[in-house]
Amino acid sequence: MSALSNIRFLLQHAIRVELRNRHGIAGLLVFAVAAVYTCYQATGTHAEQESWNALAWVVLLFAGFNAVSKPWADDDEGVRAFLIHAVQPQHWLIARTLYYMVLLGTVSTVTFAAFLLFLGMDHLSGWTAGHYYAGVMLTSTALASLLAMIQALASRAGGGFSLIAVLGLPLIIPVILVSTRYGSDLMRGIAFGDTAHHLLFLATLSAGFFALGYILFPYLWRD
Amino acid sequence: MIQRSWKIGGIALLAYVFWTTFTVPLGPGLLEFRDRNEAASTDGITKRIETYELIGLGTHWTVQPEELRLFIRKGDQITPLPVIDVIDDTHAHAALLLPDTLPSKAWDVLINHPIDGTLFLQNGLFVEGFVVDESAQLPRPQFEERSADLPHHFPFQPRIFETIRNLMLHVPMWFTMFLLMGIAFVASIRQLSQSAGGSSLFDLRAEASVQVGMVFGVLGLLTGSLWARYTWGAWWVDDPQLNGALVTVLVYAGYLILRGSVEDERLKARLAAVYNLFAFVILTILLMVLPRFTESLHPGKGGNPGFNSYDLDSSLRAVFYPAVLGWMLLGTWMYRIRLQATRLNQKLHRLNDE
Repeated sequence: MSALSNIRFLLQHAIRVELRNRHGIAGLLVFAVAAVYTCYQATGTHAEQESWNALAWVVLLFAGFNAVSKPWADDDEGVRAFLIHAVQPQHWLIARTLYYMVLLGTVSTVTFAAFLLFLGMDHLSGWTAGHYYAGVMLTSTALASLLAMIQALASRAGGGFSLIAVLGLPLIIPVILVSTRYGSDLMRGIAFGDTAHHLLFLATLSAGFFALGYILFPYLWRD
Repeated sequence: MIQRSWKIGGIALLAYVFWTTFTVPLGPGLLEFRDRNEAASTDGITKRIETYELIGLGTHWTVQPEELRLFIRKGDQITPLPVIDVIDDTHAHAALLLPDTLPSKAWDVLINHPIDGTLFLQNGLFVEGFVVDESAQLPRPQFEERSADLPHHFPFQPRIFETIRNLMLHVPMWFTMFLLMGIAFVASIRQLSQSAGGSSLFDLRAEASVQVGMVFGVLGLLTGSLWARYTWGAWWVDDPQLNGALVTVLVYAGYLILRGSVEDERLKARLAAVYNLFAFVILTILLMVLPRFTESLHPGKGGNPGFNSYDLDSSLRAVFYPAVLGWMLLGTWMYRIRLQATRLNQKLHRLNDE
């Protein structure tokens, strides 16, 4: 099998496993929407710009972490022992990253839509909401490329959710610094062109995380 | 003897650094140039001859008081103001004798004195009640900058004052931490690049240098926080440089937690090495790359250009460079002791097991 069809197979497999048991993804979405609704209860529809921005990123970040924290069939030692011989580690990492992009993209989209629905669009209208959404999607891409690696590392170390958070949260802070700055720039009415370089930073960080993971993952996986 | 000389050298350097950091006096500077009698300034007669008070810090005006010269400057326009009276070393009175038409309202204040040299207070004077005409020319006096006739001293910086000494205690912490994390980075690469089943010697090196590096990182945060309390008025402020420093320390704390949560020695060596490479790349991004693209109040950055000239000041350089070298030598020594202790501990465990 060629590399591409390998990756496609692994990705399809991951999605199929996810959809086979829909409670998992439904649980994530309920978590995200419930978190947004809690924010809505606390602030009402007229949250200040800063609160809106801060709450949005906090909910997006934790929904993302929640999405990747559940244990995987692939993390089982026996399955891994089989996979080591069946596929190249890099292919597996690419498939896992792509899968996380899809998963986190979905969760982020639902979360962001819920945010606009409940907390109102006072600070984001028309194109600005679209620009904000672009930032959200790039952030979830960065999260996906980092967490694919961190999740594998944490499961190899035998730690649970807390280890993913301890290892992943500090590493993701550069991304959060850039995306919160981008969001607050948009809300303060700064023209998209003057803050678009943040999107470039996000893309660069994603690429950097992915490249690091791509180089290091084989060392992580082998016995 | 050669084995020991670098350790002795490091300690000697640090002794020199501590001695000079806390004994070299701060140079003189100007604090304020203020209106003495605001009420009288409404009186029509005295309107143009208001008296102002000049306040210095660490100045020596009672020595040769007649030689104290006061000037105000805007761009290339410079004009003298008469000094009426020298009260004491740090206080003097001057008259605001100026023509009715001035090229500007905001002026820098300068003094020349045989001992203090030329001192400078940016935007120290703001005049009102004058006609402003940018083409107005003022009489030009003889003015040339003089250097201070004082023993070795640190430069005076507005708002920083004595806390300039923190340069020798705070900045070398981060240099040393960077060096130690660099050692750990190289050790982790070598740990990963050796063939499977190799020893975990490099892993122990990485662990020891991260542990010692964390000590320096925490000390860097503490010295920075103390300085910020004095200068910025808060223990912590939201600033890219500070965020980067804190996150770096958190990432390496994650590294140590990861080590603690893996039992198997060989797996631990590999996982820790992988995470350490991530950590070092993030360290580089946070402390070297991101601050260059964002605005920061941190000294040496765009928001505080006064500090950039520090690199050029020979009195600071004479202490700062030895400080960096001395702390680095001490850090390396600590790392080696830590590594030895870990290896002995491991050996002891192995003997106990047998």
